[in-house]
Amino acid sequence: MEEFPEELRTPPVALACLIGCPEVHPLITAHLHSQQPPINAVALPDFSMIPPKKPPRDTLEPPAGIIKRDWFSKHRTRIPAVVAAIFSSRDVSGDPAQRLQVCNDLDKLKASIRGRNIKLGVLVVTKWNDKDNTSEERILALRKRAEIDSKNLIIFVPDHEPELQQCLSRLWTVLGELANTYYRDEGRRVRSRLEKKNYSSMELNVRYCFKVAIYAEFRRDWLEALKLYEDAYHALREMVGTSTRMPPIQRLVEIKAVAEQLHFNMSMILLHGGKVLEAITWFRQHTANYRKLVGAPEVIFLHWEWLSRQYMVFAQLLETSSPNALHVPSTAPVAEEKPTEWEFHPAYYYQLAASYLKEKNTCLEFAISMSVDVGSFDGSAESVVASAYLGQYSRLLEHEDAFIMQPLTDMEYAHYALAEGKRFKDSFEIIALLKKSFEAYSSSKAERTAAYCGLQMAREYFSLNDFSNAKQIFDSLANLYRREGWLLSLWEVLGYLRECSKGMSSAKDFIEYSLEMASLPETTGFSESFSKDCGPAGPATPSQREKIHKEAFEVARGESELNSDEQNSAFKVKSDYPIYLEIDVISPLRVTLLALVAFHQPMVKPGGQSLITISLRSQLPINVEIDQLEVQFNQSECNFIITNGQKPLSSTDIVQPGHRVETAPDLVLATNKWLRLTYDIKSDLSGKLECIYVIARVGPNFTICCRAESPALINDSPLWKFENRLETIPIKDPGLALSGQKAIQVEEPEPQVDLILHSSGPALVGESFILPVTVSSRGHAVHSGELKINLVDTRGGGLLSPRGEESFSSENIHVELVDISCDAPQDQSEAPSDKIQKIQPSFGLISVPSLDMGESWSCKLKIKWNHPKPIMLYVSLGYLPRSDEPSLQKVHVHKSLQIEGTTAVAINHRYMLPFRKDPLLLLKLKSISETDQTPYLALNEKTLLIISVKNCSEVPLRLLSMSIETEVKSDACTIQPQQEEFREAVVNMPGEEFKKVFTIIPKVKSTKLKIGNVSLRWERDSNATSSQVTKYRLPDVNVELPLLAVSLECPPHAFIGNPFLYSVKILNQTEILQEIKCSISDSQSFVLSGPHSDTMLVLPRSAQVLTYMLVPLGLGSLQLPRVTVASVRYSAGLLPSNASLLVFVYPTKPHVDLKPPGDA
Amino acid sequence: MIVCLAVVGHENNPLYIQSFTESDDALKLHHIVHCSLDVIDERVNNPKKSSPAINEAFLGLLYPTENYKVYGYLTNTKVKFILVTTDLDIRDADVRNFFRKFHAAYVDAVSNPFHIPGKKITSRTFGERVSSIVKPFGLNSAS
Repeated sequence: MEEFPEELRTPPVALACLIGCPEVHPLITAHLHSQQPPINAVALPDFSMIPPKKPPRDTLEPPAGIIKRDWFSKHRTRIPAVVAAIFSSRDVSGDPAQRLQVCNDLDKLKASIRGRNIKLGVLVVTKWNDKDNTSEERILALRKRAEIDSKNLIIFVPDHEPELQQCLSRLWTVLGELANTYYRDEGRRVRSRLEKKNYSSMELNVRYCFKVAIYAEFRRDWLEALKLYEDAYHALREMVGTSTRMPPIQRLVEIKAVAEQLHFNMSMILLHGGKVLEAITWFRQHTANYRKLVGAPEVIFLHWEWLSRQYMVFAQLLETSSPNALHVPSTAPVAEEKPTEWEFHPAYYYQLAASYLKEKNTCLEFAISMSVDVGSFDGSAESVVASAYLGQYSRLLEHEDAFIMQPLTDMEYAHYALAEGKRFKDSFEIIALLKKSFEAYSSSKAERTAAYCGLQMAREYFSLNDFSNAKQIFDSLANLYRREGWLLSLWEVLGYLRECSKGMSSAKDFIEYSLEMASLPETTGFSESFSKDCGPAGPATPSQREKIHKEAFEVARGESELNSDEQNSAFKVKSDYPIYLEIDVISPLRVTLLALVAFHQPMVKPGGQSLITISLRSQLPINVEIDQLEVQFNQSECNFIITNGQKPLSSTDIVQPGHRVETAPDLVLATNKWLRLTYDIKSDLSGKLECIYVIARVGPNFTICCRAESPALINDSPLWKFENRLETIPIKDPGLALSGQKAIQVEEPEPQVDLILHSSGPALVGESFILPVTVSSRGHAVHSGELKINLVDTRGGGLLSPRGEESFSSENIHVELVDISCDAPQDQSEAPSDKIQKIQPSFGLISVPSLDMGESWSCKLKIKWNHPKPIMLYVSLGYLPRSDEPSLQKVHVHKSLQIEGTTAVAINHRYMLPFRKDPLLLLKLKSISETDQTPYLALNEKTLLIISVKNCSEVPLRLLSMSIETEVKSDACTIQPQQEEFREAVVNMPGEEFKKVFTIIPKVKSTKLKIGNVSLRWERDSNATSSQVTKYRLPDVNVELPLLAVSLECPPHAFIGNPFLYSVKILNQTEILQEIKCSISDSQSFVLSGPHSDTMLVLPRSAQVLTYMLVPLGLGSLQLPRVTVASVRYSAGLLPSNASLLVFVYPTKPHVDLKPPGDA
Repeated sequence: MIVCLAVVGHENNPLYIQSFTESDDALKLHHIVHCSLDVIDERVNNPKKSSPAINEAFLGLLYPTENYKVYGYLTNTKVKFILVTTDLDIRDADVRNFFRKFHAAYVDAVSNPFHIPGKKITSRTFGERVSSIVKPFGLNSAS
C-alpha cells in the first residue's frame, strides 16, 4: 500500500485557501482541520498565488495518457475549492488609501479565481472592543465588491473566546458549503461532457469518469464515486484490446497501472463502508480480469509483480479496515459463488502475493539470463523516468537547457524494466509477506496452512543460504508432518534439513536427518514417491533411501567428508570430533534404532541369576553392522559390553577393566527384523535394577545411545502407526513380548532375626493392655534397629470415633498406643542420643539396641481400648546385619497380630415393687400404649433396684466394689446402700451374672428424675493389674404420687384345716371419695368367708380393709383366690400376679419356731 | 479434471492420497490437501448457523486456490475425503455425486477383513475402482 502516495490512501479532504492577515491563519487552520469532516487549509501570504487555469484542450489532439499522475494531488494540495480572503477591520474602515488597497486586493483575487470557478468567502478581523465600530455600510460595500452572499462574510473576533468559537464554527460551515458547491459544480461540468459523449477517445472517457468520481469523493458522495469508478474500470477494460495509442507493452503497463488505481480507490470506499463481501467479490473479478493478461514474454515478470502487488495491497487494505468488518457481513447475497473462509483473512492474500512475487522472481531471473545484452544498454536506463501520466515512462533528455520527455520504444522499456528488476532483491519481501501470512494463520489456529507458508518461507531462506533460519522453520514443519504422517512432505523437509546441516557443517544433524530419511516408511503404491520434485533429496524411492543411508554411514565412519558446496569447508568425523546420537522415547530416530530390554522374571533373589533379553530393531533400508553394544544399568556394576564376534576387538575400543565382556556371533541389524540377545545378569544389591541405555558403537567415532524401553510399554511412532507392515514380536516368548519390563526387583536378603508378639487373648475395654514384643537374633546381629508399631482398624477407617474430628482427646480415640516400655539397656555405653522413641495414638517408633548373634531384647507395648474394636497391630523391625557398612540396605522383618477388644462387663438394672403392694399410677396407665421405656416409680414408696453385672469376657474377673453415685447431691431420693465395698472380692466367672439389690425411695415428684451412675470397680483375676472402673448410667425415672395403693396381706404359709386371714387394704390418697369394686374368685383349695363381690366407697385420705377368712383344703404350694379390685373413677383395676398369690400349706405345724402369721 | 484425491484419517494422517496428473506437482497437491484440513477443522468446529444441513457429509468448496478448487467431505466416522480439481466451473451437485460414489468405494475397501482400521489403504482393487470413478467425472463436467 506504501506504493501509493499518501493522498491516495486517505479519503480526500476539501482544500481551502487563506489569504491575508497571517496572524490568524494558525488559529483557523487548526480549527478547520479538527472538525468532522475536516477541511485542509493552505495559507497564501499573497493575493496572486493561485495557479492559473490552463487553456482548453484541443479536442482533435489525441490525449497522451489516461490519467495525469499528479492530478489528484494537485487538487488535494494546490487547487483550493474555496478562498477565504481575510481583511483587518482597520483596513476596511480605515482611511481611503487603505480601503483602496483592500478593493485592489479583492479584485486581483477575484480575477485569479474566476477562471477556475473557485468560491470566495470574506473574513473581517476585528477586536472585541472595536466590534461595533466597524460600520455596517463599509461591510456592505465590501460584500458588494466581493460579490458574495451576506452569510459568506464573517466578522471574526479572535480576542474573545465565546465569540471566537462561534466565528470559527460559522467559518467552517461556510467554507464547507462553498467547497461542496465547488466540487459539485466541477463534477457536473465534467459529467455533462460524459453524458453528451463529448469525448474523442476512450482515454478521455476513463479520465472523465475518474475525475467525477474524485469530485464525488471530495463531497463524500461515496455511492456516486463508486459508480463512476466502476464505469471507468469497465471502460478501461474495453481499452485493452482496442487502444493503439502506444507500443503494446507500455500500453498494457499503463492500463494495468490505471486499473490498479481505480480498483484501489473502489476497495478503499467499499472497505471503509464495511462492505467486505463486495470488496472481496470485486477483488476476485479484478484479478480474474487481468490475470490472463500476461503481456509480452520478455517482460512477463512485470505482470507477476503487478499481480503480486494487487494481492499485497488488498491484504493491507483488508487488514487496516475495521476488524469487526472482517466477519461475514449480512449484506445482500452476491450472485457469484460465496467467498470461502480464508478469503476474509488478509493472510490468504499475503500468501498469494508472496507466491506471485516468487513467480516474478523466477521469470525475472529467466528474463535476465535470456537477455545477455542488458549491460550494453549504455546506461541510458538511468535517464528513464516516470512521465506525467500514470503508468507511463519516458526518457528525459537534456536539450539546450531544457528537459524534453521522449517516448520510449517497447524494446527500450523492456531493457529499463529489466535493469530496474535487477536492482531489487525480492527474497526479503517474499519472506516478509510470508511471515505476515504465517503469523496471521498461526493466530487463527490454521496450523497447516501456516506450515505451508512456513515451508515457502524456509525455502526462500534456503535459497538465500540463510541456513540457520531455514533450519529452524524446517524443524518445526518436520514435527508437524511427523505427527500427522505426511510422508512425502516430511521427505521434502528432511531433504532440506539435510542440506541445511551440510551448509552449517553440522555432521551430527546431517547424520540424524539422513538416518531419519532412510528409515522413513516407504510410500509404495503411490506414484507420488517417484515424483522428481521432492526437494533437494530427490524422489522418495528405495534406491534414493539406500543412497542416503550409505552417505550417512560413510560420514559417520569418517570415510567421507561432509562438505558444503557453498562454504568450501569440509568436515570430517575424527576422534577429535566424535558423533554421539541420543535416541529417547520421543526422538524421531526411534525407528532407526529401537532398543527393547526385558527381564525374564519380575523378581530375583540378591545374588541370583536372571535372564535379560535385549532386542534391537532398525528400519534402515540396508543392514547395519554394529561393532560393539554396551548395556547400562542403574547399578553400574551390572553394566556389560557385547562385542561383535565377526570383528576383532580393536585397541581403540573402550573396555574398562573389571567390566564384563560378552561376545555375540554377529551384530547385524536387518530391516524390520529383531536382533535378539539374551544374557545372564546378577545383582547383589536389593532394590530396583533397571536397564537405562543400550549404546551401539559403529566405527571408532560414532555412537548411538538408545534409551532402553520395556516391551510392555512400547508404542509405535506416529509415522509407522498407519503403515501396513509385518508386525513381529521383539522377544520369542510372546508373553514376555507383551509384559516384559526393563526393570527387575531384587529382593532383600532373608532376615535372620525373629520378631515375636506375645498375645494374651483379647483385650478388655478400659484396661491398659500389655503386649510384650521380643526381638531375638538367630543368625544376624542387629545394628541400628528400629521398631515401628502401627495400629490399624481391621475394618478400615480410622481409629477415631466420628466425633474425633472436632475434639482430639483420648476419649474419642477408640484404641490408642499409650506407652512403650523396654528393658533398660544392659550397658551404659548405649548413647542416649541413639534412642528414638516416638509415640502417637496409632503409631510408635522405638530404636532397638545393638544385639549380637543369639541375643534377644524385648519391650512391652501398652495399648488402651476406649471402645470395643478389633485392631490389627503391625510391628516391623528394620536393621542392618553389619555395622561397618552403612551403605548396605536394611533388612526388614514384619509381623502382624489381630487383637480383639471386648467389653469386660455388661451392667443391667431392673426396678421392682415391694411384695404384694401395688400403687395406682395414672401416668403409667396412660403411657402403657406408647413405647415409653421410662420406668415409673411411686412417690414416697419403697422401690427395689436390682443391678446385675454379667462377665462378657473370656477371663474371670474380680469385682471389688459397687456404688451408685447420684449426680447432684440432693434429697430427691434416698438410695440404700449408697456404696458397698465387697469384703471379699467377688469372682465373676465368664458368663456369670452377679446381682446386687438397692432400695430407692423417691422424695420428689418429677417426670425426669436423675438417679445417677452405677460404678463398678473390677480387675482381672489372673494378674495383679490395677483395677478398672466401669460406669453405667441409670436412666431417668418418672416419679408420681400414687392415687390408690392396694396391698395384699396374708401369712407366708398355712396349715391344712387351719383358718387364716387374707386381707386387702385399699388406701385412698386423693381428696375425693373413691368408689371401688371388688370381687373374689372361688378356689377349690380353699374355703373362704367374706364379701364375695361388692362395691364400696373409700373416704378421702383413708384406708379400707377387706378381710377374708380362708381355710386351706389342699397341700403344697397353692394359688390363693384371686381378688380383683377396680376403681370406678379411673377405670383401672388391680390384677395381682400369680406369683404373689402363692401360699404354702403344710400338713402339720412344723417344729420350728414360727412367728404368728400376722407379724410377717 | 480431478487432479488429486485423498482420504484423511482421524489424526489428520493421509490414509490414501493419489494424484492424477502427468506433471510433477504431486508434492504441491499434498500441500494443498494438507492445508485444506485447516478449513475442514474450522468448518466442523464452528458450524455456521445459516448452513442448511449440519449433518450433511458434503462440506462444499473448501477454498479456491488460483488454479484448483478443493472440495471436502466428512464421513460419519470422521474420515475426511478431499478432492482437488482443475475445473473452475463445476457444479456442487456433480461433486456431491462423485463423493457419494467414492464413499461407497471407501466403505467397501475398509470392509475388507484384511484391512486394519486406521491403517493406510493399499488395496489395488480400491485404486482401480477409484480411477474408474475419477475418469468419467472429468468427461461429464467437460461436456
